[in-house]
This record gives sequence, C-alpha cells and structure tokens, in this order.
Amino acid sequence: MWQYKKMLQYPVNIKNPDPALAKLIMSQLGGPDGELGASMRYLNQRYSAPCRQVQGILTDIGTEELGHMEMVSAIIFQLTRNLTEKEIKQGGFDAYFVDHTTGIYPVAASGVPFSAEVFQSTGDAIADLSEDLAAEQKARKSYDNLLRLIDDPDVRDPIKFLREREIVHFQRFGEGLRLVQDMLDSKNFYAYNPSFDKK
Amino acid sequence: MALSDKQKLMRKIQDQAFVLYDVMLYLDSHPTCKEALEYYHKHREMKEKLIEEYERTYGPITAMGVVNEGKWTWSTCAFPWERGES
Repeated sequence: MWQYKKMLQYPVNIKNPDPALAKLIMSQLGGPDGELGASMRYLNQRYSAPCRQVQGILTDIGTEELGHMEMVSAIIFQLTRNLTEKEIKQGGFDAYFVDHTTGIYPVAASGVPFSAEVFQSTGDAIADLSEDLAAEQKARKSYDNLLRLIDDPDVRDPIKFLREREIVHFQRFGEGLRLVQDMLDSKNFYAYNPSFDKK
Repeated sequence: MALSDKQKLMRKIQDQAFVLYDVMLYLDSHPTCKEALEYYHKHREMKEKLIEEYERTYGPITAMGVVNEGKWTWSTCAFPWERGES
C-alpha cells in the first residue's frame, strides 16, 4: 500500500504565473513521456518481474514517479494561479480553460489526453526493462527541450531536478536489465522471456 | 522570498529524504554494498529526528504523524503544492 506524505520531493515556489509555459509543462504530466505514464508503466510491470531486486527497482522508481507527478502538477498549479481573462487568452490557455478552468488534467502539450497506450506491460522482463530504459531517455529529452524554452529560474530549478532523476533511473534500470540477463542460461542467448518460458 | 523557519526545516527533511531515496534505489541493485548500507542507516536516523521535530512544531507529514491530541491537524494544515509550502 501507499501512504501520502505532505511534502514535495523537491521545492516548487513560482513567483510569476505563466499560462503559456503551463501548457507546455503539462506534457510532463499527461504526455507520451510524462510522469503519469512512467509511474503506471513501472508499477504495473513489477508483478511479473522475475526477481525481487527488479521488483524493488520497479516499485521504488514507480513510487518516485508519483512524487514527480505531484511536482509537475504543483508547477502547473502555481503557473496558472490568479489569471485574468486577458492573460488566459494571450497565453493560449483559452482552449484548456474551456474544458478544465485551471484544474489539473493530464494532457499532452499537443492537447491529446493521457492514454495508457503510451506504455506497455508485456510480462517479459527483457522487453519491459528495455522499454523502461528508453522511457527514461525520452523523459530526459522532454525536460531538455523544456529547459531550452524556459527562462524563469523558479521554473528551471525543479525541472532540472526532474531531468537529473531520469538519468539516475536510467542507470538503475540498466542494472536491473543486467541482473535479469545474468539469470539467463547459455541456451537463451536470444533472451526470450525468462519469467514465462521455463524450459 | 526569504525562507520561513518552517520551510528551512522542510528543506533539511527534503535533503535527507532525497539522499535516502537515492541510496535506496542503489541498494535495490547492490543489496550487499556495506558502504551504501552504512550511509543509509546514518541518514535514516537523521531524517527520523528532523521529521519528529517538524511534526511536533508545524504539523503532520503523514496522517499517522498527528501528535496533537486535542485537534485533527492532518486536514487543517496546508498541502505542499501551494507556493511557500515547500
């Protein structure tokens, strides 16, 4: 089970609202490489992982991603507070505003709502961990692109933290993949499903 | 905006929680690393002390951390997504 902690993993304190920026950062909540998809990917994959260490990595990274979802949501929440109607229109936030006002809803920057189709849970540890490694790089890419577009240091700071975590997670998933590969015998050099196809 | 005393203490907890989370992920794939395990226990103790101080002074971090016997403080103190609460 999970227990909520009334604290962010890393501080988010944004002075100046900026709805245009909120619209872009929203992708890291509900977009194809966002934190919601990341969390759901790992927390669903963990049951079929073939060893406890990999179950642990998936559980703990999946849990940290829930915390990152909260950080991204806090950034969007603070970027969209006390907006005037003029600011909503000028910031291109009007289409989102019609459906959600300034509520937090997981959607990509392109306007496509979150879909479970952005991730897989294959029941095959090699396939899953290979996806997880790619997912961390894709999320790092999104944060790199956001950092190219953001000037406000209040926003850059937590985004840089989130970017760094993707790099650490990539490292840990690499170790998880190595652990699973070490469990394969010499007859399984094509790395078929080690948790399902038991000779 | 200058940090309040509450924020300063929260930052210390965030530092310790971060250190612990990071070493925890490392230990998942290196469960026999003695150095990492010692590091984990050292920081775990530091974090526990800071959380105790915070909950006593400013209110609960988890719903099971309510120490006030006269009032249910879990739902009356701020959530962390507000500006100035982290």
